[in-house]
Amino acid sequence: MPKTDTTEETDTGRTLLRAEGISKGFPGVWEHLILNEIDFDVKEGEVHTLLGENGAGKTVLANILSGFYGSTAGKIYIKGEEVELNSPQDGLEHGVGMIHQEVMLAKPFTVAENVALGTDDSDFSYPLDKVEHRVDQLSENYGLEVDPTARVGDLSAGEQQRAEILKVLYHEPQVLILDEPTSLLIPQEAQQLFKVLRGMADEGFGIVFITHKMEEVMEVSDRVTVLKLGKVMGETDIEETDEEELTEMMLDEKIPIRLERKEFEEQSVSLSVEDIYVTGSRGNTQLNGVSLNLHEGEIFGVAGVSGNGQSELIEAITGLREIDNGRLIIEGKDMTDASPREIQEKGVAHMPEKRREIGVVEPMTVGENLILRDYRDPPFSRLSVLNRSAITNHAEEIIEEFDVIAPDIWKSETRILSGGNIQRMILGRESWRAPEIIIASHPTHGLDRRAVSHTWELFIDLRDRGSAILLVSEDLDEVISLSDRIAVMLEGNVVGIVDSDEADKSELGMMMTGA
Amino acid sequence: MLTRIYEQVKPILDSFLAGLIGLAMGAIIMAIWGYAPLDAYDALFTAIFGSFYGFSSTLARATPLILTGLTFAIGVRGGIFNIGAEGQVFMGALAAISVSLLSLPSGIHVLVAIIAGAMAGAIWSLPPSFLKITRGVHEVISTIMLNWVALYFGMYAVVEWLGDPQRAEKSISAATTSRLPIMVSGTSLTYALFVSLAFSLLIFFLLWRTTLGFELRVVGQNPAAANYAGIKENYSINSTFILGGLAAGVAGALQIIGHPPTYALYSDLSTVRNLGFDGIGVALIGRNHPIGVIFAAVFFAGLNVGARTMQITAGVPLEMVRIIQGVIIIALAAPELIELTNQLLPAVRNWINEVKTS
Repeated sequence: MPKTDTTEETDTGRTLLRAEGISKGFPGVWEHLILNEIDFDVKEGEVHTLLGENGAGKTVLANILSGFYGSTAGKIYIKGEEVELNSPQDGLEHGVGMIHQEVMLAKPFTVAENVALGTDDSDFSYPLDKVEHRVDQLSENYGLEVDPTARVGDLSAGEQQRAEILKVLYHEPQVLILDEPTSLLIPQEAQQLFKVLRGMADEGFGIVFITHKMEEVMEVSDRVTVLKLGKVMGETDIEETDEEELTEMMLDEKIPIRLERKEFEEQSVSLSVEDIYVTGSRGNTQLNGVSLNLHEGEIFGVAGVSGNGQSELIEAITGLREIDNGRLIIEGKDMTDASPREIQEKGVAHMPEKRREIGVVEPMTVGENLILRDYRDPPFSRLSVLNRSAITNHAEEIIEEFDVIAPDIWKSETRILSGGNIQRMILGRESWRAPEIIIASHPTHGLDRRAVSHTWELFIDLRDRGSAILLVSEDLDEVISLSDRIAVMLEGNVVGIVDSDEADKSELGMMMTGA
Repeated sequence: MLTRIYEQVKPILDSFLAGLIGLAMGAIIMAIWGYAPLDAYDALFTAIFGSFYGFSSTLARATPLILTGLTFAIGVRGGIFNIGAEGQVFMGALAAISVSLLSLPSGIHVLVAIIAGAMAGAIWSLPPSFLKITRGVHEVISTIMLNWVALYFGMYAVVEWLGDPQRAEKSISAATTSRLPIMVSGTSLTYALFVSLAFSLLIFFLLWRTTLGFELRVVGQNPAAANYAGIKENYSINSTFILGGLAAGVAGALQIIGHPPTYALYSDLSTVRNLGFDGIGVALIGRNHPIGVIFAAVFFAGLNVGARTMQITAGVPLEMVRIIQGVIIIALAAPELIELTNQLLPAVRNWINEVKTS
């Protein structure tokens, strides 16, 4: 006998999906639970937006609601009936479909073939005609223009996403969850998508829309739930709130401390980026004419929700990504087309965001990784022959100074080290020379408090000694505490540069979300 | 502490285990077909270790395999799947015969022959390298194709240009000044063995003690990190190909100047064929380590040499050894299989316990 939900009827319509006390994670393992007792529901005919910064737990919640992940605790009710969703198929059977942020289609296959992949009513036969016909019907009904016979790999990002929506619609769900669906779309495509979503809501679908962009919230939602660090900060009808209130809910209320430092006097420009344009990995423009100057003895913070061009900016500056247009000047020299090595030899250190992926070579030893970018120089090698004892001494110094826990310099593969230890290795490796320019991407992400304050002291010390530091971080507190000036990035543009002394967190937050 | 020692010797243990699995599977197959496995293995190991002559033959056979094993091993370290050793050996052998037409003092002539072989092997490795770097052609395709080109070119060259006027089936023999001295009379073991061993040590030094080797291994493990570290990926890939080509080319040269009694190529290239392909197996068993490759080559060569004795005394067909070699390589190439059994065993044990208690 299934338990029934008593709070079912409301004035906007039936509650299609309701989650109660959803938790994910294990207390004590992380600083906070990924999700902490979340209550959430979506009704017939509404668009309910989940708003929050990266890492707030939006995607995890969506994955739990659609059956991709299990939860540690909590209950899910569908139309008042408690259900257990153990797989995405379970979710679809109960009428909950999810469209992921990254396209999850097989690129060499056609749209119809991809739709057929998810169906199980075709044991031996392959009713492609039937599928194509149905996809055509659906795409007409909902205004989702896609050619079912087109190969997915040939489609634009927007078309791929429509294909993905059709794939889910084929299963006739009642609740549709879209995880940051606009992140891959150009503005016109996003507008089109909003129209489709509105239309679907009017037809009686319950839509869960995930975003961190304020304007989208205001445009498309009926209701908003704000998540922060795995907790619900508030839930409200869109008519009863405004952008400012939502921004405040999204961000932390504590005031960051400005760290003590030498007076900043504007000195010579170490690095300047002049109106650069860069194409992202997916072939779309990721930087639209960004300009900034980094001075000697300055920490220049770049704030922004991730995915707004910060990674591409760093890759462009460090030579890892081609600059389509514009100029990169380092220490007075044009380095626009320079290789990573040339830029490195110009005195640019780089603490990359993807630590395990590019920051270290995991199967190689700790000692080898500590000279990954210095192996060409004496004393680590002379006449192309590596000097083991010099490397050992150097490694021991870094390990000692940065509290790296590594069993053995020459025997331990770096793979076995924790993320925090790897980051401490990279911090040591990139800062020991006190380089003229440091490009740091999320330098304290994943570090414990002690290591964070150690890193902050290190950065301030390097700054006072004349290093120019470009600091990209999603942690607003960190940016405000460390930086002398802060640039805010949104959709591939620098939307503003402010002095940190005058920086106000909620103002920055508004700029970050485009409110 | 114990686990750390275990981590260090694990690759060696794995190779030994795979060897045992191969021998066991071989025994089972022999038993099924009605041969006597124990007699066969008795013959096999007596042939390898039972006599000084046998062991010398094994080492002679291992000499080129060490080098072709290195070709593949260097490739894996540098991130390429280089199966072009076969063709590079042919080119090395042809070059060594060609330079024996020169008249040079004996010590220098040996050196010239080895260098000529090495260069020929390296040159033959350049087209796949060039195609990969400029056009993205996968090296497996290009090296296989060039192996065939080298084979037929070699056959043609032996008959048309380098043929022995007195004996139509073979090429001229290497000049006596370019031959490496025989180490054990009555066998084909020459000082060529030391050339192979020296080359292995050289590669070991190069890979782990020089900046070139460092770059090569970084590119092989993680090209993205290599780019971040300022390593020129294409340069490193090219170096990997050339080093492999050098090793295979030397193997070809040694099969001429260090391979009595003929010191020559036959028109079907029989004395240098399959060395490159066997090198792949040697590298796998040797865990792509220059020192491991030495032992693996001796093991591989021993099986080949002993196989003939096994056929004569125990009546087991020669091909049985190929089966054993195949099983060993499969066992090595499938560490996932071991992982899987590790996972399955407790599950099976639990299941048995449950059945018992219920």
